[in-house]
Amino acid sequence: MHIPDGFLTNRIALSMDVLSGATVLLAAHRLKLESAMRLIPMMGVFSSFVFAAQMLNFPVFGGTSGHLVGGALVGILLGPMAGLLTMATVIIAQALFLQDGGLVALGANLFNIGAVSVLIGYTVYRLFGSPEAKGKRLSAAGFVAGWFSVVVSAAACALELGLSGAVPLKVGLPAMAGYHAVIGLVEGGLTAGVLSFLVRARPDFLKKEAAPRFGFWDGVGGLILVAIPLAFLALAGSSSLPDPLQALLPEPVAGAVEQESILSPGRADDLNRVLLYIGILVVGAIALLAARRLTSRGRPS
Amino acid sequence: MKHSFVDRFAELESPLHLLDARTKLIGFIALAAAVLYIPPGNSVAFFAAFFLLAIFAGISQIPLPYIVGRTLVILPFVLLAALAAPWGGKDGWTRLAVLVLRSTLCLLVLILLTNTTRFVELLRGLRKLGCPRILVVNLSFLYRYIFVLSDEIMRMRQARDSRRVGRVAISTEMKTLGSMLGTLMVRSFERADRLYQAMVSRGFSGEFPVAAPRSFSWRDLAFIAVVALFIAATVYL
Repeated sequence: MHIPDGFLTNRIALSMDVLSGATVLLAAHRLKLESAMRLIPMMGVFSSFVFAAQMLNFPVFGGTSGHLVGGALVGILLGPMAGLLTMATVIIAQALFLQDGGLVALGANLFNIGAVSVLIGYTVYRLFGSPEAKGKRLSAAGFVAGWFSVVVSAAACALELGLSGAVPLKVGLPAMAGYHAVIGLVEGGLTAGVLSFLVRARPDFLKKEAAPRFGFWDGVGGLILVAIPLAFLALAGSSSLPDPLQALLPEPVAGAVEQESILSPGRADDLNRVLLYIGILVVGAIALLAARRLTSRGRPS
Repeated sequence: MKHSFVDRFAELESPLHLLDARTKLIGFIALAAAVLYIPPGNSVAFFAAFFLLAIFAGISQIPLPYIVGRTLVILPFVLLAALAAPWGGKDGWTRLAVLVLRSTLCLLVLILLTNTTRFVELLRGLRKLGCPRILVVNLSFLYRYIFVLSDEIMRMRQARDSRRVGRVAISTEMKTLGSMLGTLMVRSFERADRLYQAMVSRGFSGEFPVAAPRSFSWRDLAFIAVVALFIAATVYL
């Protein structure tokens, strides 16, 4: 579900960067007011936990596999603000370590996999289960929270891709939502599994202090945090106004879009083009080697 | 066990490695954004970007097989995501090509950024650029725990696989995995708690000191100048 660079229009990608940046700053700010010092080791270990847990694959069907995404779980255990920051840490680390998800698309990924899954998971859990929930009720609430968190964030992802024109919305949305409706079963099952394990092994993890009281305003806040970016996204994607950054560029670029593309298929001199590409690769390799030779400090690498 | 996915070549000493982390963060992000702003028809700019990145890759002294390998590992995911593009209208295949091209170039930028900067320095740069402290502390914890945790998880997976014979019901599988994850969580939390208490009692206040921080020099200026020149060139070409 990590969106690589190049799949979103710059307008959407950059808007999402700004929005997610603001959300993370807000979460960090709110957390500072609460007792953050006590949460720091929790958050640190939970982010590495989620990072590691995403490596534990689970066969779904037809050769595909799913794994725990963890947004709902982290939201339930740490509360929305700390959960959001924890997921943000994981997503940034995935982009930096594994090149999973792009640099400019980071904002969109932070929104889909971070904000949406944590807030949706947390809200749904709080609607279906209470902090003192045990047994079946706890499992059910965990399951529903996990399922919704995955499906909604997949839908947000498909929406962004669709509005960017990378993947047509008619194809992308049903495909993503449908596939993740199945993946969501795994996510829900695992969220429920971990919760019911924890309530037996370490009930103190599920104590109220870990997740502050969920009031009316928290619900409203969560809804706003998810709804405003979505509305904004819809506007940003569909508006016929020119892209603000595009407008800053001089005319030739706008004209260049209509130019014939060297990449378009089925044109006359295919062979020439292949030769051109090979030539470019060769020259690129030479440039690379020359640069390496010129700057190496007599140390064999 | 082996861990090779994190800032593996960050300890080299090329001119790119010597740059300040802030310079690299800003420069490379600007470069990625510039690549994304290249319109589909402007092949010259795509090639210019490719050349610039090739030269940077050369300067960085990162082994070429590693860069190519990393790219090939990620490429299938990009292709998978781009799979629907050809059905989206008349220029489907062109769109596919442009998508993959842009993603690959940005991927190269990302590989260069993370492999020329030690993670600690990257975090320091992020902090100096105004990233919230709690996020930076979190990232540095993740960087330190992840090796221990992935060891743990590999051992657990081995244990599960060696005890499980044949196919089991999906609900059993789920339950096992849920308990595994729960165990992992409890174990790692207990370890982290001990570690954190030890750190606090030794004076940890939320910042990790860096042994030999780089500082802003003429190199940084040159790097920024090159990136700025490239951006200007792609706009006017």
